[in-house]
Amino acid sequence: MKNHCEKWKDPLLDAALTGIAAGGLEEHMSNCADCTAELAALRARRERLDTLLPLVAQGSEPSVDFRARVLAAAEAARETSRGAAWPAWQWAAAMAAIVAVLGIGFTLYRSEVRTSGTVPQNELEAAQKLSEWRAPSDVLLEAPGREILRTTPRLGESYMPVPAKTDKEE
Amino acid sequence: MDNLIARTDAEEREAGFAARVAENQRRVFHIAYGILGNRADAEDVAQETFLRAYQKLSSLRESEKFKAWVNRISFHLALNRQRGGRRRLTRETAWHTHGTGEPVNGLQNAEERVLLERLRNEIEGLPEKLRRALQLSIVEDMDAADVGVVLGIPAGTVRSRLHAARKLLLEAMK
Repeated sequence: MKNHCEKWKDPLLDAALTGIAAGGLEEHMSNCADCTAELAALRARRERLDTLLPLVAQGSEPSVDFRARVLAAAEAARETSRGAAWPAWQWAAAMAAIVAVLGIGFTLYRSEVRTSGTVPQNELEAAQKLSEWRAPSDVLLEAPGREILRTTPRLGESYMPVPAKTDKEE
Repeated sequence: MDNLIARTDAEEREAGFAARVAENQRRVFHIAYGILGNRADAEDVAQETFLRAYQKLSSLRESEKFKAWVNRISFHLALNRQRGGRRRLTRETAWHTHGTGEPVNGLQNAEERVLLERLRNEIEGLPEKLRRALQLSIVEDMDAADVGVVLGIPAGTVRSRLHAARKLLLEAMK
């Protein structure tokens, strides 16, 4: 291909693949022997390509026993899953057993807590002492002034308490 | 009576699955082979694909659904295997895969074998999007719509990617 025909390179490839010379290529080829020859060569190459391409994927076949092996593997998988699957009654029995074990465990735990809940005697005595303990400030509050404050009449009260007359005396 | 019905269901299921494997095994294998280029790996992937399909058989009762599903799974498993490099991938060439010494699939002479190997290398060098579309489209029974389902793109996009891929190959295979 000559240098001035470079711009026809892409249309020539398209024409070889689609069989349609578009965009003025046909007109150009009527005056250009090089491009005509190039298109013929590209078409021959495309035919070769069409023959070879399927062989890239189909150059080999699965072995004769392939299907049998697949079916055997599927059968094995089915057997495994069948062995692993439990019928409904087995699930129910397993659930009942779990519930029973949990119930027994909970009951035992509760009784243990109840027994261990009894407080030992020495701890009770210590708690009693603690409740009777008085801080030193309480002693100070027992000062003599406390008695005066107690006997001093409040506002409006007399020093000489007059007993109220009863109905009998009147 | 219940056991009898259950057994009949299971037998029907088995027979249906066997038929589905027969219908799809070549395509599923070739999808994986196109990516991995290795028969042993492609068979592993195809088998894994069918085992997964077997586990979902109840939801894949329709033939078209099954076909689309196994195509997609085979493609993705093959890609995972290729990326994961679980096995050292060795590309095989068509003339020695069957071990019979006989030329297979029309590969009559050494020149064609060399061309095929060169073509494989050129495909490997394509941009990934173009390469994936091409690898799927060259599998038998796979049209643009089927490829689009596997890649999750419209059929029109598949066609334009194929055109671009073939154009690059045509230029490269001088």
